[in-house]
Formats: sequence, structure tokens, C-alpha cells
Amino acid sequence: MKPFGYTAVRDTGEAVRLASRTPDAAFVAGGTDLLNLMKDGVARPGHLIDVNGLDLAEVTETPAGLRIGGLARMRAVAGHAAVRRGWPVLAEALLASASPQVRNMASIGGNLLQRTRCGYFRDTGSPCNKRVPGSGCPAVEGWNRGHAVLGGSDACIATHPSDLAVALLALDAVVRVRGTAGERKVPIGDFYLRPGATPHVENVLRPAELITAVEVPRSATARRSRYLKLRDRATFEFAVVSVAAAVDLRGRRVRDVRLAFGGIGTTPWRSPEAEAALRGNDLTAESVARAGRALVRDAEPRHDNEFKVELVQRALAELLEELR
Amino acid sequence: MTELVGRSVARVDGRAKVTGAARYAADQPVPGALQAFFVLSTVARGEVVSIDASAALAHPGVVAVLTHRDLPRLTVPAFPYFRRFLPMQDTAVHHVGQPVAIVLATTVEQAQEGAALVAVGYRAAQPRVVIEDAREPSYLPPPFRNLPNEIRRGDAETALAGAEVRLEARYSSATRHHNPIEPHTTTAQWDGDRLTLHESAQGVLATRTVVSAAFGLPPEAVRVVAPYLGGGFGAKGPVWPHTVLTAAAARVLRRPVRLVLSRAQMYTLTGHRAEYRQHLRIGATRTGELTSIIETSTAQLSATEESVFNRSDSTVELYACPNLHVRYEGVRLDVATSSYMRSPETTSHFGLETALDELSWQLGIDPLELRRRNHAEFDQETGERLTGKHLLDCYALAADRFGWAARLPRTGATKDGDEYVGWGMATETHTFNAMPSTASVTVGVDGKALAQLATQDIGTGTYTVISQIVADALGVPITDVQAQIGDSALPPAGMSVASATIASISGSVDQAARAARAAVVDLAVADPSSALFGAAASEVETSNGHLVHVRDRQRRDTYRAVVGRAGRPVQRTATVLNKAGHSYGVVFVEARVHARLGSVRVTRVVTAHDIGRVMNRRTARGQVLGGVTWGIGHALMEHTVFDRNIGRVVNPNLSTYLVPVNADAPPVVETLFVDKPDPASTAMGARGFGETPITGVPAAIGNAIYHATGRRVRDLPITQDKLL
Repeated sequence: MKPFGYTAVRDTGEAVRLASRTPDAAFVAGGTDLLNLMKDGVARPGHLIDVNGLDLAEVTETPAGLRIGGLARMRAVAGHAAVRRGWPVLAEALLASASPQVRNMASIGGNLLQRTRCGYFRDTGSPCNKRVPGSGCPAVEGWNRGHAVLGGSDACIATHPSDLAVALLALDAVVRVRGTAGERKVPIGDFYLRPGATPHVENVLRPAELITAVEVPRSATARRSRYLKLRDRATFEFAVVSVAAAVDLRGRRVRDVRLAFGGIGTTPWRSPEAEAALRGNDLTAESVARAGRALVRDAEPRHDNEFKVELVQRALAELLEELR
Repeated sequence: MTELVGRSVARVDGRAKVTGAARYAADQPVPGALQAFFVLSTVARGEVVSIDASAALAHPGVVAVLTHRDLPRLTVPAFPYFRRFLPMQDTAVHHVGQPVAIVLATTVEQAQEGAALVAVGYRAAQPRVVIEDAREPSYLPPPFRNLPNEIRRGDAETALAGAEVRLEARYSSATRHHNPIEPHTTTAQWDGDRLTLHESAQGVLATRTVVSAAFGLPPEAVRVVAPYLGGGFGAKGPVWPHTVLTAAAARVLRRPVRLVLSRAQMYTLTGHRAEYRQHLRIGATRTGELTSIIETSTAQLSATEESVFNRSDSTVELYACPNLHVRYEGVRLDVATSSYMRSPETTSHFGLETALDELSWQLGIDPLELRRRNHAEFDQETGERLTGKHLLDCYALAADRFGWAARLPRTGATKDGDEYVGWGMATETHTFNAMPSTASVTVGVDGKALAQLATQDIGTGTYTVISQIVADALGVPITDVQAQIGDSALPPAGMSVASATIASISGSVDQAARAARAAVVDLAVADPSSALFGAAASEVETSNGHLVHVRDRQRRDTYRAVVGRAGRPVQRTATVLNKAGHSYGVVFVEARVHARLGSVRVTRVVTAHDIGRVMNRRTARGQVLGGVTWGIGHALMEHTVFDRNIGRVVNPNLSTYLVPVNADAPPVVETLFVDKPDPASTAMGARGFGETPITGVPAAIGNAIYHATGRRVRDLPITQDKLL
């Protein structure tokens, strides 16, 4: 493991200032992903800024909705009564993530910034454009069962692994970040970047910026929301395909709907086309099938992941059936 | 006193293990030891052309970087060392993840970072790592350890051509890795020409044989110590290069050296279950009697080793079939050498038991009935009657408990909510080996017993069963018995591989303990100070630490008093060689398949096994629970992925190499045993068992999925995408 410095900070401003003037610095909260990456030599920060002491762990219900501190632990959010009542998809996505031990440690901000599970990214012996820009992407022609069918490029087809981010995308959440220039808000739909030619740049965070909170608006769709995660074993595993659906139904009529997907895109994937196929229409097998087809219209499956095109449509149908 | 052998005796080492008091190999304090970390080849085929260690040597704490130029020339050892070459003796690279340098430092972290800083240049060629990409067609390798790779009985082709019913199918399974939770580890300490190894090994004596041969030393010069293992599953049966190289580094540096392999390194350095394909053709009568089996399997071989480890013993001898032709073929690939992995015969058995299920549907015969009709009463090779085989009892016991008679003989017939429910079954069987074993039992002046032998407890309960046997044979409480094993300096005993431990050691432990008992009784009846003085030895019973006259129960003495008065311990040894053989059983499985999503859950399992005498019901059940869980992993998820272009293992960790978690384990597993001592066994009637209870599980799951859905999947693992 590369030797690294370590500073525990007590104040958000101090955290950001220290990060801005320390080369190779990284924030660490739960450490459930970063420490593994460091042990494997995939992440090699020179200095860790421990932000666990910052006062950013609260989950509060406000008239506008939900405010989740960046340091709230996954377990705390998943078990929060208001979250379960008003934003069930959020609780379900969190409980479908990782293991109880990891959820006790891992923070909301860290969850959004976890790195892909692509085996080539996590193996320093393999080329990887995300880890070493310009070194190549073996996944495109190699083993890509777990990779994206949407949003990829020749440089990278890795998926983003967060279940939480998929749920937040279906909830129109906003990420609050703080940097040296102050605080700004980024809609979750604008937070992640597709790989294009620069897969090592995964989000819009600027150097030394820290996620301080996630805000989730209150809505009729949020109240009727669910998460379905399909994976290769019963638990403690990332999604092969996942769906977050939030609907506002009047009878069978879809007044409004949000659909987001994991496991199929290079970023947490929202499908306005699929939503449009449902919005204003009755929720029927036909309209659901239309939505599924709209979702995968531009899919570019590879050698090992073609099944995802079919599976995600079935998962969508399954979840909407449960929401009806 | 009630006999302990056969009962559900709790593990005598359980408390030490769960409290952390048990010291595993890497826990042994060795003052002054350097920590080692390997630099592994990043290419699969080619040679090392340059090694620049300057950055590593400049890293704090790094003491040395050793390469092929620095190590002594070593002798490539024979069995159980596989590969036929030792790394770091020259520049050749035969597979990804082959050691090319060793970094030694004060801490593990420094050694690991040092290894990351070593720059290695290669001349590399395009590797071929999966069977589909093989450069050359498959071939019949030479016999492996005198076992032929081609077996014929009768005239299989003619019999097949004339068969009333024929079935042909191809099955495959992916590469798998053992993944014991305790990583492989070696600590090497030289004292002149004498070497001590703290090793996580399934065979302390085998390790001694291999390592002493590599250094050209007599076996007695090497001592191997392995008191506990955190799992081995066959990975720690053979001796691998890291053990020899760690000892070589310690010799070069004249300091103790400790190496702990990382999880990822275990995917190229310690063997695997080879990628496997199987082509089966079966001929039968209309009433289901097998008339011919023709099987050709193809296994992934390495560039340097052509041994085939996944043999088809059940195809050859489980069922009565007069005509047979089995060929074990292989293809040379640029992968690390494969090896034995728990229940090697599972690999082929999946095909056989799936094919029988397919035949049962083809014929309209219940799959259990089909197996009964082909039950082998006689050894298929020698023609001798198989005495002590109770497989038909297993069928009856488990079928009854499972409720198999209620099975509907149609696919897709049962739906519960969103899931189709299916039932499947398969026969289970595995060979077990037996190795000569000597045990010593000593009764001390404190009346307590010590059993000593160079076997190992790989987590299966060896300490406990030894203690049970000694307690029963002496007639002392189990708390007065200590077992000392896992040290090559102890009396020689067999390896803990091939389901051989209990089958090999039990007889010698029992006989040594009985001899020690007899010696103590002799002391008592000859001792004027004993109340038993003058009695005939045959008139003395032993129970709960006491020696009692059978007719006059007031005349009694104790082990402690008798041996205490004698003033020195009583020690006896015994040597026993058991015979190899088979264990049998059956597994019934209920599986549920989601109608729309194809996800599979195993919800109920019932097994019955014929393993001769059950030595400890609790640890025997533990073997079944582990076997069923392994079978679920084998059937539904485990899968090592090679990148076909760069030759690397893509999922060398427990995050992406999926093994079952608790939520995948069936809520109900019922484990039944026939429990009849095998008269042919010198191990108190016990047979080897550990590998049997996996063997049928993958096929039973696949057969249940077929019953549920009508979908036949012949390629393992059966992931969700194959059932859409």
C-alpha cells in the first residue's frame, strides 16, 4: 500500500481548504470502497482527509422534502421512518445494497462516489482507461457481462454501481456540494458524466469539493415508489439490472412517473422516453411493453451482456405490476 | 459410560476458534521475520526481459528484491507438487500471475508497495486461456499417477448402435477456485540446514517431502507445523511454488520470512477446478437399463502440466452398465495449473446425473426409479459383490422424508405465486482414499491422555473425532483427552485430502488407545497397591477415568492413580492402513424459478448418506451443509472468468467471484444417515465422506429447474440469463 498522510477534520470549511492545498488528497468517510481500492493499488491518494467528524450526518424531514447529510450512514437513512413513508424507493435501494456491516459504515456521499466494479478497473495488471487514461479498455472486446448497454463509448462501458443513485434519480434529488468557492447545488441527473473519451472523469465535482447533503423533494410519485434489484446471488451483490420506479396513479391512469435504472448504463440511467410512453396513459401490459422498448431503443449490447436488454424490460414490467 | 463415537459431540477446538485463541499459521510469532510479497507476471505467455527494482529498493522498509538471478537453483519436486516447473528459476512465463520477483520488507504494507514499484519488462505472445480458443485439438494425456486416461469395458460403440434408446448431450462447467477464507501462508525459518515451516497445509508430511526435495535435503531436515486451517478444500493439499520460494528467500537472506498470499494471488498460484466439457452418449433399454456409456471429457490443462484432476469415477462405476468407454482429454492453455478441488468427481457427475434425468423424461420413468433399476450390486470392474453398500436404503429414506412420491411427472405443473416449483434428485457418490497412519496415545501420570499423529484438522472436526475415539477406547472423559496434530515431527499419518482423514487415522488412534488402556490395566492388576491387584485383565472395565472390577465393583482404581504410582507415562503406538472405497447417498432438491425473471432459489433439500459408521453426527451433518452450499455455488453462481485477449483472471476476489451467502442457503436441509459400520473398514467401520455430499447437488438443482420450467441448462453455472 502506498504510504499516505492522514488528517481528521472537524469543520467543513477546514476540510475543503485542506483538500484544496494538499496534492493527491482524498476525503474518507466510511472507507468501505476507498480502503479496498487503496489496498489493491487502484486508488493511490497521498493524503486522507477524514471527514467523519463533520456535522453532516443528520437526516431531516422538511416541508419541501428530505435533507440527508452527506455523512449519514446508509443504515440510518434506510431505517428512517420518514424515508420509509414518503420515499420508499430510497429505503429499498439502500437495503438492497451491500451488507449490514457495510451499511453501518458507508456514508451517503461516499456511496454516490463509489467506483465501478469493473474487474479490469480493479485489477492493476489490466489496462483501463478509467484508471490509467489512454491505456485501453479490455472490457469492450473482453468479459462484459456486467457492463453497460447504454451510454458507453469505445473508451469505457463500465456501469456505476450505486443503487442509491438510481433511486435518487427517480426522485429528482439534488446534490449539495461545498468547495473553496462556496456551496452549489447539482441535480442528480446532471451529477454523473458519461465516459466519452474521458472515463476517468465520472462526475461534475471539482477538485476539493465535498458532498454535504442530498435533498429529495416531496412528491406523489415518491410516495408510490419501489426498487427492484436483480443479481447473481440473493444478497451482498451489485445489480445485474435494477429498476427504480415512482408513479402517481389515478385508477390505472399514470398521472406522472419517474423511471431510473441501474446495471444497464454507464451512469445511473433515467429514461424520459420510457416515462413518456406511460405518462398520461393507462398502466397496461401494452403501455409497459412500449416503455420497455423505448428504454432499450438505443441499447448497444456487447458479447456477454445482450441478455440485459431483455431482462431490464422484464424487470420494469415486474416492478410496475407490483406498483399497480 | 455412553459411547461418544457416533454422537453429536461439539468441537473440542470450537471455543479456541471462536475466541481467537487458536493460532493459525500466520499467527505464529516469529521474531525478526521479514514480510514477503510477490511480484506476479502480468502477461500469460512469454518471458521476462528486464526487472528494475530501484524504486522498490528505495521505498522505506524494503530490505531486498529477489529475482530469478538471486535464488538458488532448486530441484523441481514430484507429487504433490504440480506444474513441473518452479518459477523464478529462469525468465520463462507460463501463465498470468506467476512469481517473477519477491520483495522483502519490514511490514506487509511496505513489501506490497515495494512489489507495486518493481518494473518488469516482458516479451509477450498472445495467450490462449479457454478451451474454445485452444491452439490445438484436445488430446489424450499420458496416465496420471498410473491412472489410465482411457477406460473401456465391453464394446460400447456396438452396444450404443444397437440400443433401444439413445441419448446424446454435451455438458460444461466453468473454472472454479477453492477460496478458503484463510489465505495460503508460509513462514520459513532456517537453522543451518534445518528448516521450520509454519504453513497452512492439508498435509504436513507431504509438504515436508516436497520442500526437502526442492532443496536436496533429507526429509527430517524440514519440520512443517500446521495446527489449524481456515479451510483448504484441496487448495492446500498440493504444495505450491510460494512455499518453496519463501523458504528459498529465507535461505538467501538468512532471516525468517513470512508470506501471506493476497486473495487475488490465490487465483493463479494455488490451483483451481479446470474448465471442463463433457460429451456423453448413453444407450439403454426401453425399460431404462443402461447398456452403454460413452464419455469424452475435455479439461483445461496448463502449459507445463498435463494431469487431469476431474475424473469420472461415477460414470465408470456407479451404475450397472456392461459397456463403457471413457476418455479424459485435455487441451494445453496458457493458464496456471489446475488441481484437485473439493469433490473433483462432481464435475463429471453433473453430466451423468443430468443425463439420467433426461433419459428418465425420454422414457417416462421416474428418475428415482430409473436409478434403482440401474443400481450396481457388483463392482463394475472386478465383478465382486459390493458388500456394505446401502445406497438403496438412502433412496428409500430420503425419498420418504422428501415426499417424492407426490411428484407430478410434468414440467411447469406447480406454480406458487410468481414462481414455478420443481423437484429434482441425483445420486451422490465419491471415492475416498486411505493412507497409512501411525498414532501414539500416551496416558500421563495425571491420568490424562494425549493422542499424537501428523494428521491435520482442515476444519472438518479431526481434533474432535480423535478425542472421541480415545475417550471411548480408554474409558475417560473427553475433557481428559488432548489431540496433538498438525506437526510433521509427530508419528506419520495421512494427508487431509481425498476424504481420507477419518478413514485413514481412526483405526490407528483406536488401536493405540486400546493398547494404552491394556497397558494401564496390566499395571493395575500387577500393582499390590491397587484394589485391582491380582484380578485378570479381562475382568477390568474402564469408564469415566476409572478402572473397575466387573464382578466386584467395589474394587476400583483410576488412570491417574495407577499411572501416577508407576511414575511415568504409558505410551503405545499403532499403525493401520485402511482400504480406499466409495461413499454413497442421494439428494432431493426443491427449487423455485421466477416465471418472468428467471431467478432461482433452492428452498428445500433432503439428503441421505451411506458412509459406514457415522463417527460424529454433528460434524457429519456439517459436511452435508457445507456440501449442499458448495453445490448451490457450483450450480448457480461460481465462475472464474478469464479474459480471452489478455489472459488475466477478471474476477479474482470474493466481491466478483460469487459464492453463496446465507440468504442463498436453503431454509430446510434435512440430513439422514444409514449409519451401518462398513465391515471392510479398519477405521472402526467408518468410510471417508467429506466430498460425497456435494456431488449430486448441482445436477439435482438443474433437474429441479427442468421440472419447474421445462428448461434444460447443461452449462454451469445456471445464471439468471440462461432462464429468461
